[in-house]
Amino acid sequence: MQSASFVSRYLSMKRDRFHHGLQQAKRNKICYLFLAPYAILFFTFFILPIGTSIFYSFTYYNILESPRFVGLQNYINLLLQDEVFLTSVKNTFVIAVITGPVGYILSFLFAWFINELPKWLRAVAVVVFYAPSIASNAFTVFSIIFRGDAYGFLNSLLLKFGFIDAPKLWLTDPNYMMTILVIVILWMSMGTGFLSFVAGFQGIDKSMYEAGYVDGVRNRWQELYHITLPSMKPMLLFGAVMSITSAFNVCDVPRALCGYPSTDYAARTIVTHLFDYGFSRFEMGYASAIATLLFLVMILCKKAISSMLGRVGT
Amino acid sequence: MSEANTVKSNGTLRLMNGKKYRGYLQADETGAAFYRKGESEPMVQWKYVRLHRMDSIRRGGTSTQLTVILKDENRYIFDLDYGMKLYSFMDQHWVDKPVVPKTRGDELHRLAELRGEKIQVPKKHLITRRHPNRSIAGDIGIYLMLFLVGLAMIFPLVFLIGSSLKPLDELFRFPPTVLPQHPTSDNFSDLFVTMGQSWVPFSRYLVNTVLITAVGTFGHLVIASMAAFVLAKYDFPGGKFFFAVVTTCLMFSGYVTGIPNYLIMSRLYMIDTYWALILPAFAAPIGLFLMKQFMEGLPTALIEAATIDGAGQFRIFWSIVMPNVKPAWLTVIIFSVQSLWNTSAATVIYSESKKTLVYALQQIQAGGIARTGQTAAATVIIVSVPVIIFIFSQSRILETMASSGLKD
Repeated sequence: MQSASFVSRYLSMKRDRFHHGLQQAKRNKICYLFLAPYAILFFTFFILPIGTSIFYSFTYYNILESPRFVGLQNYINLLLQDEVFLTSVKNTFVIAVITGPVGYILSFLFAWFINELPKWLRAVAVVVFYAPSIASNAFTVFSIIFRGDAYGFLNSLLLKFGFIDAPKLWLTDPNYMMTILVIVILWMSMGTGFLSFVAGFQGIDKSMYEAGYVDGVRNRWQELYHITLPSMKPMLLFGAVMSITSAFNVCDVPRALCGYPSTDYAARTIVTHLFDYGFSRFEMGYASAIATLLFLVMILCKKAISSMLGRVGT
Repeated sequence: MSEANTVKSNGTLRLMNGKKYRGYLQADETGAAFYRKGESEPMVQWKYVRLHRMDSIRRGGTSTQLTVILKDENRYIFDLDYGMKLYSFMDQHWVDKPVVPKTRGDELHRLAELRGEKIQVPKKHLITRRHPNRSIAGDIGIYLMLFLVGLAMIFPLVFLIGSSLKPLDELFRFPPTVLPQHPTSDNFSDLFVTMGQSWVPFSRYLVNTVLITAVGTFGHLVIASMAAFVLAKYDFPGGKFFFAVVTTCLMFSGYVTGIPNYLIMSRLYMIDTYWALILPAFAAPIGLFLMKQFMEGLPTALIEAATIDGAGQFRIFWSIVMPNVKPAWLTVIIFSVQSLWNTSAATVIYSESKKTLVYALQQIQAGGIARTGQTAAATVIIVSVPVIIFIFSQSRILETMASSGLKD
């Protein structure tokens, strides 16, 4: 009896809340009008694709024929039989684990160092550090620097000083590819997150530093830990999201530098694998399964990082 | 008061006890005064030298507020018809601005006094410093490190520009040089010759890219700002949830959604049209995100005042909110330009005559080693546009990024 009344009370509460929400929605009709153009486009090009890829990941679909339901077959093939996929997962994780956290920490450190500079120098430094990522196609210059013959910049330099006696095939030898990729991606890693950090440092209330000094903060590291980091938390999370994005979406750089496909698939990443199946072999179902897995991994990563950052100051 | 350099504005003076007086505020180089309506003697009057702090001016909109706090803690709030002009005039002549200590010694003295100690530090110090608790060795280390890493960051770009200016014999000289000995613009002219011979002229790629970038960026700015405005300033069911979804989608770049997007676009008959690039760019999450975070910083009172004055939501958006978020415009523009300008779009556009600059670049690159110089020249052309935009809008962009934080 008691539980029944509890249920009915709960239901009426829900109903009231629903009616209240409806009223609010009616009152703010025009808000939805403002939101509509963006919401429709956003739904079409960001939400729908996620739904579509989950749907197609359970089918065999090659665009010409209509999709055929195959259950978990795509995932089973992907995880158990596709050795190239496993290589690509390994490569992506190596790149993500190195360039993600390292790029993130470097972005933060350099943003912090830059903040110590006088104003005019700071502006120059921000351009210098941010230029590689904003000029995202500039990485093609590395194909000249790391060219495999003796005219390549690195080869000729090493030859001249006698470190090597024959030119190395930096971009086609599987032994060197990953190292080169990591270097190039690190070069490009001072991106949006870096910019957010630079701005965050400038936005911190100066009187907090003064108060910190009065309270006995003696050096820059103490200041960083006790004052700066806690007030930068939101930027830190934003930067983390941005570096997850760039760490997992490595695609253009290996394709342009190491060839597509690369020797022995040594520079294959999850996204190039996805492109291979989607746009070269038109196995859309299989490609969708890859995309779905990638979505999952990225969301999990973000959750992990935000809970980690949540613990930082406390 | 000299008549020549006098600025005045009608308005209302509000005192702390809630009394209101109608009249006008008048300012010249030495001070300002408030006259009640119909009176010739000033009701309040002060010289700038006495002015202790002046803050909280709300720019734009229909009501412009100017708050003056005098040293004796008397607070005067003026609701003015043309506050902006008066404010900048007063700001210009206001002499009692807080004095910033110039040297390390001064700073240490000031901070020691704050702590109530007396310390022996020479008043004058050679090095001008912003922070007192920094070791010189650490500073030198940081400068050195920034310099070295900065060199490493800029080196590939310098090498790129150098390569684009090298004549052919220098491109293949052993050992190679970073900068050209005899700079030439041959590569650029060769580039136009090569591209002129292909059946789609180079200018066509350029026009395509400019068109896609311009339309995509403009539409994105308008559509994302509209959405950001209601998300930031109104509380309506579903708004918070929608924003949370957008934040999550910040992570999903065009690559991951490439395949399903292709499928959806082919259903919408958008493949091989400019729309395949432009429409997704309209909905880029990063623009909405930054815009919304920045708009949250706008005083809500501004919008409330306009609503009371009878302005519709669209008018508020267009003539009050948008002019006030100009720094955010630039940021949204640069991110949008950056992604559209650098798009190669090989997957959704097949017609040669609709392809973009970056695609053309990739084709030149495919020409192999003989095209090294031309590749470099094309890359320089592509890269320079976003970099130059960034250089000129840096301070505005940083202003926006300061509100970019994500709260979880």
